[in-house]
Amino acid sequence: MIAFARLVVVLFVVQTVFYVLIRLYVRSLRREKLEKRWEREGAQGDRDAYVEAGMREFDASLTPKLLLLVYVIPAVVIGVILYATSFR
Amino acid sequence: MRYVKWTLWAILALIVGGFLHYTLPQHDIVRVVGTYQERQDLNDWTRIFWADPDDQSAALVNRDVQFIQAVDARGRERVYRNEDTGWSWPPYFKFDTANLQTRAEDLKSTAANPQWVVVTHYGWRNQVLSIFPNAVSIRPVAGPDVRIIPWVNIVILTVLAGMLLLLWRMWAQFRERTIEPALAEVGEAWDRVDDRADAARERARGAWGRFRAWLGTWRAKPPPRH
Repeated sequence: MIAFARLVVVLFVVQTVFYVLIRLYVRSLRREKLEKRWEREGAQGDRDAYVEAGMREFDASLTPKLLLLVYVIPAVVIGVILYATSFR
Repeated sequence: MRYVKWTLWAILALIVGGFLHYTLPQHDIVRVVGTYQERQDLNDWTRIFWADPDDQSAALVNRDVQFIQAVDARGRERVYRNEDTGWSWPPYFKFDTANLQTRAEDLKSTAANPQWVVVTHYGWRNQVLSIFPNAVSIRPVAGPDVRIIPWVNIVILTVLAGMLLLLWRMWAQFRERTIEPALAEVGEAWDRVDDRADAARERARGAWGRFRAWLGTWRAKPPPRH
């Protein structure tokens, strides 16, 4: 059980670090895209307000929720490996 | 300096490559000729080449380990240990040691009437250190020349390469959007400090400084040369 607990804890820490990093990365990409789109559309209105509105829309969309797969996929992979090596 | 750099890169490549070579699954096509169980002393540094089948085993000085003996098509001996990896590293999540031993026993064959099998294993055999690769699975195949495509390795190495690419893109994005603007800001701030310093120096000269400067204008110029 100690080995299992260690696996869970280490995996959770690694996943959380990765989740934070990839969330920062994806939001940064979206922010850059919004800034460029604002310029392409003729730079009208307040830039910050335009970007913030776009970011709120992005946060409400599906993409940031998909990032939670960072926690799901390793568990599924472990299940598959466990089945493939020990139950077949 | 260049040699130091290349040496460091070579050492890094050796460590990463060695780690992957030890950990990733490999396939041998062999004939199983026997199995045995032997008590192993595990209290020196070669302990890292043995598994931790359960929590108690980490503290044991010695314990029984099962082995599978095999011979490949060229007649070379292959001996595998057969140990649970459990929930520990490497992440094979192998719990079926007893079943695997039974299957190996069932697939035993002689040179005259061979039954070829693929043994999937990880780890290294070294006679001096007395270490053995750990067998993960055994399945029968038609003959010793069967072509095996290492799908698991292809997938794992592709995913690893993808992760490296992603980390590199993340770093590039961070540098472009966070570090470089901050550096530009520092540069501008430094320019402002510089301007202020010039202005302050001008002010600090004061009346006395201006008088000295005026005196300087009366100083004799070097005589013109003829």
